[in-house]
Amino acid sequence: MSSDILFVSNGSGKAIFLTGRDVLVKSFCSLSDTCSSRDSCRSCSLINAAKNHLTGTKSESNVKELDGELSAGIGEYKIGRNVLLKGMGLGSCIGVILSDVSTGICGIAHVLLPGASEKGETKYAETAIEKMFEDMVKMGARKSRITAKFAGGAQVFKHMNLDMLKIGDRNAISVEETLVKKNIPILAKDVGGDVGRNVIFNPADGSMIVKYTTKGDVLWL
Amino acid sequence: MTNLDNLTDVEMDVLKELGSIGTGHAATSLSQLLNKDVYFSVPEVKVGEIKNLSSEFIGEVVAGVIIALQDLEQKKSGYLYIMFPEKSAKKIAGDLFGMDELDEEMYASTIMEVGNILSSSFCDASADFMNIILLPSPPSFAVDVPTAVIDSVVSQMAKNSNHIILFETALSSDADIEIYLALLPESCLLDDMMKILGQL
Repeated sequence: MSSDILFVSNGSGKAIFLTGRDVLVKSFCSLSDTCSSRDSCRSCSLINAAKNHLTGTKSESNVKELDGELSAGIGEYKIGRNVLLKGMGLGSCIGVILSDVSTGICGIAHVLLPGASEKGETKYAETAIEKMFEDMVKMGARKSRITAKFAGGAQVFKHMNLDMLKIGDRNAISVEETLVKKNIPILAKDVGGDVGRNVIFNPADGSMIVKYTTKGDVLWL
Repeated sequence: MTNLDNLTDVEMDVLKELGSIGTGHAATSLSQLLNKDVYFSVPEVKVGEIKNLSSEFIGEVVAGVIIALQDLEQKKSGYLYIMFPEKSAKKIAGDLFGMDELDEEMYASTIMEVGNILSSSFCDASADFMNIILLPSPPSFAVDVPTAVIDSVVSQMAKNSNHIILFETALSSDADIEIYLALLPESCLLDDMMKILGQL
């Protein structure tokens, strides 16, 4: 394959590498805060492992391949098996991730509005979570093993003259209530604040990667 | 009600025309404000599904100003969304003050004011040419990627519809300034526009 997505881990850190034509294109690394080379990574044991895997020079046991990526647009959800999930440009929206690590089945919903929809529209938190949950079970996920992580619900406006734009908090509360009601354990969350987020989910180890849009900080949750 | 799913070519042209008139006025105001030539592109009208919205905007961080539009009966008419890519925003604020560095508060309020001026002239144009009176709200301001800024507005509009009309145009000047303007009309504004322009 010419565009693999690799997950590499070792004792000190882990990273996702997006590759194209056997070249590393982009990385999300749990060490980026402490790493001296920051985003302009040149060489470290994680990168070397990924490169060795791509060129096939050495088989590395700590490298896992993911089967592609899925991105959920505003108000929709996507599910898959062993794929990288993305929810980009979340402001007041929330990226809700459900996953069953034992089967690798996972899903992400890009929630736009709090509450439930009578018409089954997945832009509403409750409806989206319920539908995604059912679809995952149909696909083979085990109900009792499904866990949740979510992030988003920021209030990006520094100067706010329209009260109705304060929807992030309501979204976050609605998502949390729905998960509690459905007895889905919440393993991690990162909500609120005043900065937008990109949310990525790595099914290989079940970690949610939150990248702030304007600060460049990366969280692994 | 105007059906968003299948607008005719004529209706699209009507939207484009309003966009041209509105941005024309906005460009004139900006030109006077900056004392520079300002060019603007022929607006593009897009009717899209909300889920694909993120692909419609530029990918970089912007200073975004959002202005709600109301008619005389205080009905919600829609939103104007003005995006200043960060470099342009800094340049505009710097030029207006004749300084290179501005503190954050000054910067934010300058960009909001520019947003105010642009939206007022946009509203003037729609009143002059179509007799549709739009009253702009005070601006709301955020610095983030375009989708993160707009998603709370979209969530308001999404209660009624899964589609959104966006018309986008770019203002630019010699001095590397770029501004993107988008109008997100509510269906009542769309109806009014069609009615009035249909009579011409």
